[in-house]
Amino acid sequence: MNTIIEFKNVNKEYKSGDHILKAMDNVNFTIDEGEFVVILGPSGAGKSTLLNLLGGLDTVTSGEIVVKGNHVENFSDDELTSYRAKNVGFIFQFYNLIPNLTALENIELMKDIVDVNIDGLSVLDSVGLKNHADQFPSQLSGGEQQRVSIARAVAKQPTMLLCDEPTGALDSKTGVLILNLLQDMSNNKGTTVIIVTHNAILAEAADKVIRIKNGQIESIIINENPRKVTDLEW
Amino acid sequence: MLRDIKVNKTQFIAIFMMAFLGIFAYTGICSEYYGLEQTSDAFYNETNLADGWISGTNFDSVDVGEVNNFTTQSERQFVIKSVGDFDGEPDITLHFVENGTISKFYVTEGSPVDINDDSGVWIDKRFADARNLTVGDNITFEFEGKTITKTIRGFGYSPEYVYESSPASFAPDFNNLGFAYLSYKAYPDNIEYNTLLVKYSISDVDFKNRLNDSIDYLSVTIKEDQFSVAQFAQEMVQHKMMGDIFPVLFILITFLTLLTTMTRIVTHQRTQIGILKAVGFNDKTIVLHYILYGFLPVLLGSILGLITGPMIIPQMFYPTMKTHYTLPEWNPGFDMSFIYVAGLLVISSVVVTYLTCRNISKENPANTMRPKAPKLSSTNFIERSKLWRHLSFNLRWNWRDAKRNKFRAFMAIVGVMGCVALLIAAFGMNDSMNDLKSWEYDDINHFESKLSIANNASALELYYIANYTNGSFIMQMPIEIKANDVEDTVSILVSNNTDLISYTDENKNPIEIKEGKVSISVKLAEKFNLTIGDEIRWHIVGSDEWVTSKIGQMHAEPISQGLIMSPDTLEDQGLNFTPTNIVTAEKFGERCDSIKSVTPLWKMEDSWSQMTSAVMMMVYVVTIVAGLLAFIVLYNLGILSFTEMEREVATLKVLGFKTSFLRRLLLTQNLIFTAIGFILGIPLGFYFMTLMMDAAGDSLYYIPTLTWGNILLSAIITFSLSIFVNLMFSDRISQLDMVEALKDVE
Repeated sequence: MNTIIEFKNVNKEYKSGDHILKAMDNVNFTIDEGEFVVILGPSGAGKSTLLNLLGGLDTVTSGEIVVKGNHVENFSDDELTSYRAKNVGFIFQFYNLIPNLTALENIELMKDIVDVNIDGLSVLDSVGLKNHADQFPSQLSGGEQQRVSIARAVAKQPTMLLCDEPTGALDSKTGVLILNLLQDMSNNKGTTVIIVTHNAILAEAADKVIRIKNGQIESIIINENPRKVTDLEW
Repeated sequence: MLRDIKVNKTQFIAIFMMAFLGIFAYTGICSEYYGLEQTSDAFYNETNLADGWISGTNFDSVDVGEVNNFTTQSERQFVIKSVGDFDGEPDITLHFVENGTISKFYVTEGSPVDINDDSGVWIDKRFADARNLTVGDNITFEFEGKTITKTIRGFGYSPEYVYESSPASFAPDFNNLGFAYLSYKAYPDNIEYNTLLVKYSISDVDFKNRLNDSIDYLSVTIKEDQFSVAQFAQEMVQHKMMGDIFPVLFILITFLTLLTTMTRIVTHQRTQIGILKAVGFNDKTIVLHYILYGFLPVLLGSILGLITGPMIIPQMFYPTMKTHYTLPEWNPGFDMSFIYVAGLLVISSVVVTYLTCRNISKENPANTMRPKAPKLSSTNFIERSKLWRHLSFNLRWNWRDAKRNKFRAFMAIVGVMGCVALLIAAFGMNDSMNDLKSWEYDDINHFESKLSIANNASALELYYIANYTNGSFIMQMPIEIKANDVEDTVSILVSNNTDLISYTDENKNPIEIKEGKVSISVKLAEKFNLTIGDEIRWHIVGSDEWVTSKIGQMHAEPISQGLIMSPDTLEDQGLNFTPTNIVTAEKFGERCDSIKSVTPLWKMEDSWSQMTSAVMMMVYVVTIVAGLLAFIVLYNLGILSFTEMEREVATLKVLGFKTSFLRRLLLTQNLIFTAIGFILGIPLGFYFMTLMMDAAGDSLYYIPTLTWGNILLSAIITFSLSIFVNLMFSDRISQLDMVEALKDVE
């Protein structure tokens, strides 16, 4: 397996007045291509900070983030923007679809930022929403909206999918459907999927589990035989 | 509360500014007009201005007794034009007064008027200032072959001379024009009073009827028709009309934008209202808290506007007014309506805030804590068409955004439209006035100078001058005209067809007035509802000889309305051609007794410009305030739209859209709204402009004009404001904290 993401001695500090908060404290890890990674930790441990740094929404205080050989920590704002456009597919807890656009348009929107030929309908089909193509986000249920958001993220064929509590706003049954979809993306299509959650059960389904606490890596476990999401006890 | 204000300070400042500007413009422009009205009324009252002037040959005490039967007060004067013993032989009108109780001389310097003083004189202050006279100087007048020398006792004003005019120009020349008041005892001979000033409480018509039945007299003038009173009243009407339209527009735009902004600010606070309710605040406390939002900034802005508007705006008009009119003081006026309008603004702001707030707090807290569910939208035929799929994301997004936020789009367009209409109206007035000026002074009049013929001119000398200067005799007189039961005082121009004056039609094309035909100006014909072939009755003011003429032709004249005919045509009517002026293409600098004064055309044009300076000042004031208002309206809309779209913009940014793209996205929306508002604002502004030009003068005939240059200028002002406001938000896009914006539902 190729290593495509590497964190080397990453530190992130937030200053508020004289007080310095260490949100990332000397973090090191690697992620391989096509891996299904779960990042676990209690609230405030630094999960979201890690995801923001990896997603190019925030910059490190020191250390290196290497994605496909590129040093993300050296990127300018514009380079970060095009890094996000090409490499990162975000999936948010609250979907963040553009309410003005239909499901299909939300996906085809990606044509404007990446040079990839996107067949919106077939992508929607792959998340089982072909029949809802012309509906607006407000006309869709939460689970449907999250599936559109996954479709939007994968449509541009990013290096990685970054999912921040993707099931946080959904009931458990719908949540399983979504997670199953994400695991499929990883297993069958070779997409690197990184999920941040505080739900420890998901750990059994992951190829790699990174636990963090107080901004530090607590443990990195590699599951030789990850279970299917649908087989887990929820 | 204070913290809220700090967080939303730009919005509060915007609201404050809107209330301030609206009230500032409204009260400022109105107070200018009320000031004119109130100060002149006060002056008229204090000096006991006459209600009527009866002129006759020799009013004796029997006449006075007769007249006293239907008047409340009366007094005799001997009024005579004299020539002052100065360079340039200024015209001084002398008033020998019997008691000094009606139309009193208002002394500003020196001793009060003393009716027993037979050697003193009280002089027009404007004339005294122009001639550097001081109290105690001796001054000599000549009239009817008499010469009198008196000592100046004081300077001051008279209510009969708020407006004085020189025969040759619109603007008074205080160096060559004045009046003086003396006691009847100062008259060298037995005085024969030729004027009877009266005050009465019956109606004008009754007064005239009673007067006709009582004494012999030559003519009578009532207050409304008195030259100075009428002129000043007309000026006030002009100000009032303009002052009625602009402030009302300003206040309407203010109401509209202010109220919608309040609604939206409170709606933004929705979640917070929910939280406050959930933690146990009762509705009353919450509603009260938010009402302060609508109350404080509007109240403060209104108060500041109420104070500064009347202080600043009238002072921009009064200096030019002072060159034409003479009043002892120029104070801004005040009217209770100012307070009412400001109060209404504050109250409606509070009411709207209250209603919005109550609607939100009536819902249960659980619902309120979430943002209001977005409205369901559906695709319409445009969006299903093939074309739609080819539109850029930018256009599609903005289309949908406008569709989902119809109210916001509507407000933006109406706001821009109102401001553009104000700008266009102001510029249009400017253009129309300029057009009118060049029509009169370039297209119609081509002479170099206009010579006024003296009363005692020698015919021989005049013919010599006319020959020598290649000049042409004309006769210009005020006439009184009657037709279709309407009466009006207009002017007559009698002249042969000459190269020096070109008559024009409605399209400014030169026409000839045919021999034997009486031509009426289009504006007058409209007023009297006359067409070619109709008959009118008229007489020259000062003569009793009424003639009837058939209208044979029409001409268009921007400034002076009336009749034009040739000398032969005039004589056919049975009247004498008595030239009043010579117009010539040459400069005439010689002094001779037959010519009273020489006025070059450029000087006439100058004095016209001065006279219309109040209109022009209004144009500047409106342009500046409309520009400011446009800025605030756009800025405010910008802030609100940005707050409403913040989450979407953050999402787009996270997805990888460049800041420049997002900037363009918002700019496109702004520009489209501005463009629509602009296009709709032009006809509206044009309409306002015609309203105001109609108000500006009864005697003006104008072609509504709006130059492309000024349309372009309005466009530049509006669009650069729009782009400027957009740039202010560009920074906020690049500084937008994507993580924060995405975190919570809000």
